[in-house]
Amino acid sequence: MERSPAPLLSVRNLKTYFFADEGLTKAVDGATFDIHPGETLGVVGESGCGKSVTARSILRIVEKPGRIVEGEILLRRTGANGGEVDLVALPADGKEMRSIRGKEIGLVFQEPMTSFSPVHTVGSQIVEAIRLHQRLSKREARERAIDLLKQVGVPKPERRVDEYAFELSGGLRQRAMIAMALSCDPNLLIADEPTTALDVTTQAQILDLLRRLQEERGMAIMLITHNLGVVAEMSDHVVVMYLGRVVEEGPVDAIFHSPAHPYTRALLRSIPSIRSQSRVKLPTIAGSIPHPFNRPPGCPFHPRCPSFIPGTCNQREPGMVEVKDGQRASCFLYNGA
Amino acid sequence: MVVALDRDKLLLDVQGLRKFFPIKRGFLRKTVGHVRAVDDVSFFIRKGETLSLVGESGCGKTTTSRCILRAIDPTAGKILFRTEDGAVVDVASLPKGKLRPLRRQMQMIFQDPYSSLNPRMTLLDIVGEPLLVNGVGSRQERMDRVAELLRLVGLRPEYMRRFPHAFSGGQRQRIGIARALALNPSLVVADEPVSALDVSVQAQILNLLMDLQDRLGLTYLFVAHDLSVVKHISDRVAVMYVGRIVEMAGTESLFAAPLHPYTEALLSAVPKPDPRLRSRRIVLEGDVADPANPPPGCYFNPRCRYALDLCKVDTPQLLELRPGHFVACHRAGELSLSGVEVDRPSV
Repeated sequence: MERSPAPLLSVRNLKTYFFADEGLTKAVDGATFDIHPGETLGVVGESGCGKSVTARSILRIVEKPGRIVEGEILLRRTGANGGEVDLVALPADGKEMRSIRGKEIGLVFQEPMTSFSPVHTVGSQIVEAIRLHQRLSKREARERAIDLLKQVGVPKPERRVDEYAFELSGGLRQRAMIAMALSCDPNLLIADEPTTALDVTTQAQILDLLRRLQEERGMAIMLITHNLGVVAEMSDHVVVMYLGRVVEEGPVDAIFHSPAHPYTRALLRSIPSIRSQSRVKLPTIAGSIPHPFNRPPGCPFHPRCPSFIPGTCNQREPGMVEVKDGQRASCFLYNGA
Repeated sequence: MVVALDRDKLLLDVQGLRKFFPIKRGFLRKTVGHVRAVDDVSFFIRKGETLSLVGESGCGKTTTSRCILRAIDPTAGKILFRTEDGAVVDVASLPKGKLRPLRRQMQMIFQDPYSSLNPRMTLLDIVGEPLLVNGVGSRQERMDRVAELLRLVGLRPEYMRRFPHAFSGGQRQRIGIARALALNPSLVVADEPVSALDVSVQAQILNLLMDLQDRLGLTYLFVAHDLSVVKHISDRVAVMYVGRIVEMAGTESLFAAPLHPYTEALLSAVPKPDPRLRSRRIVLEGDVADPANPPPGCYFNPRCRYALDLCKVDTPQLLELRPGHFVACHRAGELSLSGVEVDRPSV
């Protein structure tokens, strides 16, 4: 798919570090990518790759001792306050950031049980989110909350609105979470592992719902997941992260059918697929993900890489180079890295 | 269920297993109902094979495995287990005191390698504990055995004085496997052994489990919800829904040609790692039935797109429709359900 020319959100050389007593963790170390209006960007990686911290950086909700130390996050805004704004330059708890967070950028967390307050009804929490950004009376906001719950497929919404999160099943809870994230019609929805805690048939329901809502509203989705199946089914464009770096990005078909970075290639080969033969040994990636305190010098993947070039990969850091149309990788196998 | 098989080859034969948990209410804790966690489950496992129990959360797969290990006492049913000396015992009815020698032969691998290892014990203590508890060998012999076990699971024996925190998730799961194998069990119950691991590490552990099975002749009861993982490791698969087995067959047969509508929906719901295969998935409406208050007839009927009036009143039995392929569905055989094709290995 052709990407529309002007990105909705541009992340440029983002670095978010955690300054803990035990040492410095470079959770995100120079991430660069764009999200275009109406598209689904899949951000994929294993634990510690920095995908969640990237999302938190965009929303400016990085917890201490974490801090954005470098980079830009440019959001193109529409309407009265149109134009481009650098989210990194805004105060994290200032008025403008608060009006963006939840209104222009919605967020869906992984664990809907812990992200809802257990002592307030689901409805009151959605009403709160609505009234924070829109001038509506309590009754109007409640009507809107019921309408939203209906749109995300919650049965009997006028009753569910007065229930607590623990009274809902996992799937319904995640639907309510999505309803809350959509309450102010965001242009961008960040979904951080939205289906990881769910069963596979419920996951299928939620993915279907996200796709339908995107068609109806034309919003962009940043879908963060470790599940390559979910990425393949949902994304237009994919960003692959490893230890705080974007190692490869490109259109979804290129990533899955002609991956360029050795990490992407190895990862795709090593996942058990429902379409492969049973009782067959899987090719594996040697070793495990290094602890973020002992990040290897040079390319972070070099100790596990089958194409490791001694003297190069362990000494210099590769830059991003275009491999094919719209597909870029950071690897010394490609000229210019 | 009729099993037309050489019964000598069976290691485990579960017949009519039930486990009901009482629901207690009020001041007097009166029992007002039961959660039918496992409801008339029958299956067998041959020596040296891997049977997987799959299903969504709350379907009773973990409860079934816990009953087999007698970690909890079943409400009814038989769990026939063939011991090392060839005798067949009913684990379900054995008094607690007689379970000890049996426990050596059935071991468990846990899901979470972070919480299942005591952080204050060294690898030597963790892996050697089953030996110590069962009074196997002298201190030196135990150390030798631990070293051997660590080598077996791909860890360096020099690490045996270290604590679990020094190891990654995949390495910790190897430690858990070494502990499970310490007493040479014949049956290993693995409850979601790879679901807490990173994708790039899952393959290593799955390969290790298959390797160990070939080398030691182990029999696995594998409990998992990830159908891709299940397809990789299993010889046979049993699909559970609300405490019952709805379909059981050889892996290839079950994935390629499922006979139960629930299996079909489950297979189609798995996201395939290939954007060219974005298919029209079968999206099941509603939620899994409540095991405390299941619908009448087939438990799956409210969500089944093939359901007839008969399905709403009559509970289907698990029958052998094709050799080795069991299914509990009134319409089994007359429906043409779609399974999952197998990719040809890429060049």
